[in-house]
Amino acid sequence: MSRSAAPGFAVALTVLVIGVLIAFTVGRYPIALSDLFSVILGKLSGRPPDVPPIVENVIWQVRGPRVIAAALVGAALAVAGTAFQGLFRNPLVSPDILGASSGAALGAVLGIFFSLGVLAIQSLAFVGGLLAVAAVYLIGSAVRSRDPVLVLVLTGVVIGALLGAGVGLVKYLADPYNQLPAMTFWLLGSLAATTLSDLLPLFGPVAAGTLVLIALRWRMNVMSLPDEEARALGVPTGPLRVVIVAAATLVTSASVATAGIIGWVGLVVPHMARSLVGPDFARLIPAAALLGGGFLLVIDTVARTGAAIEIPLGILTAVVGTPFFIWLLTSVSRTWS
Amino acid sequence: MKLEAHSLAIGYSDRLVGRDLDVVLATGEVLALLGPNGSGKTTLLKTLLGLLVPKAGEVRLDDRRLGSYDSRERARLVAYVPQSHQATFAFTVETIVLMGRTAHGNLFSRPTVSDRAVAARSLERFGIAHLRDRPYTMISGGERQLALLARALAQEPRFIVLDEPTASLDFGNQGKVMREIRSLAASGHGVLFTTHDPNHALRAADRAYLLRDGSRIADGPVSSVLTCEQLTALYGATVEQVTDASAGTSAFLPG
Amino acid sequence: MLNRRTLLGSLGAVLLLPGRARAATVVDSAGRSISVPARVERVFPAGPPAAILLYTLAPDLLIGWPRPNREEECEYMLPDICARPEVGRITGRGNTANLEVVLAFKPDLILDVGAIAPTFVSLASRVQEQTGIPYALLDGRFDAIVPTYRTLGALAHRSAAVESLAQYAEDTMTTIKGRIAGIPAEQRPKVYYARGPRGLETGLAGSINVEIIEFMGVRNVASQRPGGLALVSIEQVLLWNPDVIITIDRDFAAGVRHDPLWNAVNAVRDGRVHLSPKVPFGWVDFPPSVNRLIGLWWLAKIIYPELFPEDLRALTRDFYTRFYHRTPTDVQIEHVLAGRD
Repeated sequence: MSRSAAPGFAVALTVLVIGVLIAFTVGRYPIALSDLFSVILGKLSGRPPDVPPIVENVIWQVRGPRVIAAALVGAALAVAGTAFQGLFRNPLVSPDILGASSGAALGAVLGIFFSLGVLAIQSLAFVGGLLAVAAVYLIGSAVRSRDPVLVLVLTGVVIGALLGAGVGLVKYLADPYNQLPAMTFWLLGSLAATTLSDLLPLFGPVAAGTLVLIALRWRMNVMSLPDEEARALGVPTGPLRVVIVAAATLVTSASVATAGIIGWVGLVVPHMARSLVGPDFARLIPAAALLGGGFLLVIDTVARTGAAIEIPLGILTAVVGTPFFIWLLTSVSRTWS
Repeated sequence: MKLEAHSLAIGYSDRLVGRDLDVVLATGEVLALLGPNGSGKTTLLKTLLGLLVPKAGEVRLDDRRLGSYDSRERARLVAYVPQSHQATFAFTVETIVLMGRTAHGNLFSRPTVSDRAVAARSLERFGIAHLRDRPYTMISGGERQLALLARALAQEPRFIVLDEPTASLDFGNQGKVMREIRSLAASGHGVLFTTHDPNHALRAADRAYLLRDGSRIADGPVSSVLTCEQLTALYGATVEQVTDASAGTSAFLPG
Repeated sequence: MLNRRTLLGSLGAVLLLPGRARAATVVDSAGRSISVPARVERVFPAGPPAAILLYTLAPDLLIGWPRPNREEECEYMLPDICARPEVGRITGRGNTANLEVVLAFKPDLILDVGAIAPTFVSLASRVQEQTGIPYALLDGRFDAIVPTYRTLGALAHRSAAVESLAQYAEDTMTTIKGRIAGIPAEQRPKVYYARGPRGLETGLAGSINVEIIEFMGVRNVASQRPGGLALVSIEQVLLWNPDVIITIDRDFAAGVRHDPLWNAVNAVRDGRVHLSPKVPFGWVDFPPSVNRLIGLWWLAKIIYPELFPEDLRALTRDFYTRFYHRTPTDVQIEHVLAGRD
């Protein structure tokens, strides 16, 4: 199986490992590499390490949760993007195509508008994402068509636009001194406020959805064929499509609820992974998970160390993603068509 | 084993395409489906494959209602070879053929050693083993059609249904595919294919079914069904027959 | 002949009557000449800072409020004025007032207090042209309070009344500035301004949000770059290690003492996390108007407690009486100082 995929996987794994190392050692609060090792060794051996407690605190309570969150969210968005690109037979598709991000954004800004607590805002965002895609699915299935996938995409675009208008309306009505800046910061994406208590609600849906998509990777190749062909090959496309969309939406909604709107990861990382391990989804999905985690880790590290103030993740991924994508489009793409 | 349809009415949710159709295909024989554009050939094909629900009547496979099979069971008995197409993703030919083994595993299973062996044999059978690692998007139309044939064979089905298998092929490859169709019947498969070319039907099929405007015009052994009069009635245009007296073979030309 | 003398006499008497309002031309903070009618009875506030400023000087002239006030806020203001209708806002971030609605209120003057950037100047001229109502744009910066008040006094024909308010502002600012002038830079504490439920939103150097904090001459830890609001990470706050934290978010203030991460910060360890009072209007940050004047005393006592022995309760009572025209009870003062809604 891994005829030519082993080197590709090695690269993806290396990116993740390097990402983790850099993320732990680099930061606004100066921590030496030796201190990092003492703290880790201390945890493993049970003896308290010889570093000031603040350093231990920063490593376990600040960077630790942030590193885990960035790796999880990056892997999740990459896997969701890969699955959707297969499902919709289009390499230009991102996980937001069915409106999950717009629904989550509306949920979050409504939470901010009604001055709710952080947990409530995150829950509203999560539920908003799920409801948006559920609505798209229900409306899409009510439309009889030869191409159920195209109908889903069109419905997703329409509902996404409607929800975007909703977000605009809430921003318009918001108190410009207090709520509007909060909404703006949230929408631009950030992991700045990630704590240990954020990780559990994030971990559940993201792990569940990502594992489902990874488990289904052997069927993803067939799902990328035209619907009739896939059914003739013995795959129940209707129910499987629901499962894949549900898993990807779970993952996307949880990520957006925790970290705000981070675009480009779900669009660019699948392509990077494809150039490493080839188009077979069985290899692509795990590779995308590794690469996505590493990618977002590196980006988040830049976001929190580039300046004293946080650079929003959504902006960084766009700044990095756009030229990369243009390069992809213009270079000889032997990976699709 | 038989794949048969009785009093079949076919169509889509908004319109009826054909009615009163009776089709029988047995393993070991080749049935050719002919008809002009818009006659309902593809609709009939898809209904026989279980991809479309009949509007009336029923399709039976091994004396069981086709609708009572789930897609996995059905795929182990009937394989579909669509017209070769442009693929979105550049899977290797081996990956494409391995997709034929999907129905033999469950939702999460990966290809086993025996799956790979079946796929390898299938590639060998059609002479494209050397293309195993080539991206599907970088082989010729004829090779793609053979790859899809190999994928269908990898399903280890009893019946193989092909939609216009020679549509985008060059002249040489057309003959090659027709020969493969005959050999498939010889190895015990039931083969159904649609075609625009009566000559292909003449050479490769045992029986022919003529469909015009959703109604059966004629069906039966090719020698009796494929005549000038029948074909002229079918296509609504003059058709000439040219015979090689010494070899006893004949061919049809558009008039 | 008798008629003409009487006529001339009465005319002269009328013209020489002291304190009688007459049509005037006042120059606003943007240098525009505003023709003010003789009688000004209805003034439309273009945004919250204008509404507050006008309420403090001449509450009877206020047509309404850009956003409706809450019940808790009206307890500290004149009830009938506080309950005046919602009129929307014309300028600032987001227009919600329909110009036809503005006209329907029949204002004699439109008052706008805020930034004097060219965008707002052109907006002022445009609205004035469209509606024919004089539109005055006044400087909303904290250190421009005194001249802004005097200009408003001229516009509203309340030049006498405005003096006590302007003088109070001037005295406050001079007193406080005077006492802190002698403090050397190293003894000025590092202050972090925490917004948002996680306390990670802050104001950069020169932003309107930290105007009065920076007035106190402290070192705003986030002042390495100028700007408005920004997000920071807890790591950065730990690195800055402020001595004092000022916040406007109650959830943050309540939770921060129990947070193991924040406990590493000097301000949290020393118990110097302070929640800003907010009724009827915020004492720090927003709305950016004269309501922040009392915040100055509050900040002074927090940051330099030895230099400012004044009784904050007395100061609060005095300020609220003068500016909000209603004397709060002792219970109400406690409520305010606790940062409650």
